Amino acid sequence: MSDVLIIIPAYNEEANIERVVDHLVQNFPQYDYVIVNDGSKDSTGEICTRRGYNFLDLPVNLGLAGAFQAGIRYAYKKNYECAIQLDGDGQHRPDFVEDMKKKMDEGYDIVIGSRFINEKKPMTMRMLGSNLLELAIRLTTGVDIKDPTSGMRMFSRNMIREFAMGLNYGPEPDTVSYLVKQGAKVAEVPVIMDERISGTSYLTPIRAAKYMTQMLVSILLIQNFRTRSGS
Amino acid sequence: MLLRGVLIAASVLTTLLIMRKIRKEKMMIEESLFWIGFSFMLIVFSVFPQIVFKMSDLVGTQSPSNFIFLFIIFVLIVRMFQMSMKISQLESKLKDLVARIAIDENLRKEKKEET
Repeated sequence: MSDVLIIIPAYNEEANIERVVDHLVQNFPQYDYVIVNDGSKDSTGEICTRRGYNFLDLPVNLGLAGAFQAGIRYAYKKNYECAIQLDGDGQHRPDFVEDMKKKMDEGYDIVIGSRFINEKKPMTMRMLGSNLLELAIRLTTGVDIKDPTSGMRMFSRNMIREFAMGLNYGPEPDTVSYLVKQGAKVAEVPVIMDERISGTSYLTPIRAAKYMTQMLVSILLIQNFRTRSGS
Repeated sequence: MLLRGVLIAASVLTTLLIMRKIRKEKMMIEESLFWIGFSFMLIVFSVFPQIVFKMSDLVGTQSPSNFIFLFIIFVLIVRMFQMSMKISQLESKLKDLVARIAIDENLRKEKKEET
């Protein structure tokens, strides 16, 4: 068993999942992985069974937060040293897991795979949102996180325990902000991400606006008076 | 003046109660957003009733209190509809889960009997 568990949340990813997981299994056999099939309506689950992948088959759709938490609970049960989320659409390259693990071994609780450490953010709506979140986190915690929306985050064993047990622990920027405020040590490691090859992104403009409002209110307001549980 | 004092006190207390519950992790953040917005709205309305008077003039309701009733009832109806939808979804998920457990159990028994 390796120290690192790669959690791959997958919702309707029949077009990508085989490519992503085969790449992982062939080129990075040193890592353990678990796919969390989040109640997909397409054949994601059948593909996982047929190919003999290691996967959790959620009977109903829980959304990203619930799927990720299921994966984290698995990591907690099997006592992994750290867990990292890789998206099921292949945007995150497993090549960078090693760098992130090295960083984590320096004594960090959360390591974020960041696209913008050496590179400037392009001027798009999406990046405007990213900048806003960065500012909100800096205002509440004093820590600068260059890529708050990156889904590629690695969590230490302490964090795994908290994520497994807590109620409001979605894999989102507000949780990171909250944990940093509570004293978790966070670092960023430069990574490169690929565009998704097939399937459509979940983020429509309306959803994006809703997501942004929720994250900003949550980071600026709610996370400030939350008490910590689980530790 | 007494009425206004009562209104302000009640809205502030409501806000504090809601925040306390969120603080104790009794509620998911997505759900709490509505309640935070709603309770802030109550505070604003009770501290600055001029806003309500203005809005009432704008809409053309007979009196500001009518506007308040209309507005809050409407907000709550929308919320209730959303909750009703959510409950339906939850119920159908629960049904799926229970069926899945029962079927899995049955299949496991079948397998045991075969061996």
